[in-house]
Amino acid sequence: MSARLALGLSRLAPLLLLLAAWQAASAAGLLPRRVLPPFAEVAAALWALIASGELWPHTVASLTRAGIGFAVAVAAGIALGLLMARIRSVQRAVEPILLLVYPVPKPALIPLFMIWLGIGDFSKITVIALACLVPVVIATFNGARGVDEFLLWSARARGTSERALLWRVVLPAALPQIAAGVRTAIAVAIIVLVSSEFISSDAGLGFLIFSYGGVGADDAMLAVVIFLALLGYFLDRAYVGLLRRYMAWHAFAQH
Amino acid sequence: MPSPSTEREGLGALANRVVPVALVLLAWELVTRAHWVNPYVFPPVTEILLRWGRLFVDGTVYLPLWDTLWRSLAGLGAAIAVGVPLGLLMGRVRWAEWFFQPLFSFGFPLPKIALIPLYVHWFGLFHLSKVMLIFTDCLFPIVLFTYHGAKGVSPVYVWSAQSRGTGRVRMLWRVVLPLSAASIYDGVQVAVVVAVLVAVVSEMVSGGGGLGQLMIRAYRYGDVNTAFAALLTISVLGFALYKAAAWLRERLLFWHVGEA
Repeated sequence: MSARLALGLSRLAPLLLLLAAWQAASAAGLLPRRVLPPFAEVAAALWALIASGELWPHTVASLTRAGIGFAVAVAAGIALGLLMARIRSVQRAVEPILLLVYPVPKPALIPLFMIWLGIGDFSKITVIALACLVPVVIATFNGARGVDEFLLWSARARGTSERALLWRVVLPAALPQIAAGVRTAIAVAIIVLVSSEFISSDAGLGFLIFSYGGVGADDAMLAVVIFLALLGYFLDRAYVGLLRRYMAWHAFAQH
Repeated sequence: MPSPSTEREGLGALANRVVPVALVLLAWELVTRAHWVNPYVFPPVTEILLRWGRLFVDGTVYLPLWDTLWRSLAGLGAAIAVGVPLGLLMGRVRWAEWFFQPLFSFGFPLPKIALIPLYVHWFGLFHLSKVMLIFTDCLFPIVLFTYHGAKGVSPVYVWSAQSRGTGRVRMLWRVVLPLSAASIYDGVQVAVVVAVLVAVVSEMVSGGGGLGQLMIRAYRYGDVNTAFAALLTISVLGFALYKAAAWLRERLLFWHVGEA
């Protein structure tokens, strides 16, 4: 454990050095406040935002949007990917459409969905769901298609029905790939979330960054950027931690 | 990306791919022509395609297309110019690895898009802020892929070059760089997609021309046809750049062993 702690500290050191250099440059007057406020002020602004409770409604608004879109995408994506892998006609129908949607930069869909579904949460959630769907479907499809035929044969030989086969054999065997696709979807959800909140919103972390940037409150703007980065980082870490705990049977997520 | 189904080659396979898409488009056309949905919100496919064609005929699309294209390529090019040497250094020099590797792996999954307001403040509303943001975002995959490539170079090659008296700097360029080329190129493939995405989002958010602005302006006027046509242009641009990068890879890496 102490070895892991030492490794963690050694990995944290460059970041701390960078922050210290930022603070030192500001203190020495090399970094004008107009360009970048001192790190201490940004940290103080972050603390003030947290202590005053101003940050929470925006965090909740953002996490709700991203969370719903992400959850819908994961559920639908796994189902669709499994069906594609097991049923030829579904694959034939979906694969060309997927190939067509794949190269579209998903945030570019935001204006269209705002026309269709209004500027509220619904259009944002839909675009987030669509953007997260693609990596999940592809990962599930590839994972389920690569299932060892021997596993299928031996399960069938013992009289497993086709539906049970899907849940008891194909899904577990595809889980490592699905898990990787879901991890990509977490990062995608945050990117699309922030883009959509920049383009139009009245709440959320993206909105907060944009409105502080608009009034020149650079310390508060950077504080929210850092908060968002930390949030994204800890979501990813928490996800990897969950995988390690519940998928310990697979040599996965060793880093 | 799902690999193409290989069981039936040729015309049959082509039909298999085209039919589902054609069915969706046909259904769309019929539903909209039958006025089951509001045509201002959901125009028929044919009208969207006509508007797309018109954007090219009357020339509206060329300037935004050019802006988005050169911004993406400039940011990507700068990221390659800075990221490849940095990644090589990280792969071969202990202190560079110690310092940069945690920073880049920490920053890779973070949404650099959130820096748009800061970059507008630093570099203005127009080209520079967008090119810089594209550069920043593309830097991460290029540095990390180069680093992993350089890290994976077999020491046998390095030893053999060392025994012939190759210096440290020359080693990076003559031995490590070519042997990491395949991995670097994987990074470039990732970065191409990122570049177009960041270009479009930053144009949507802070204007200053480009396809993103064309699209957001169409949205403000409620002009769905143009918004759709802009989306199609963006998608084709992204796809074309991705394909061009893949094509270049084959040309540049023809000598590379064991690479597709």
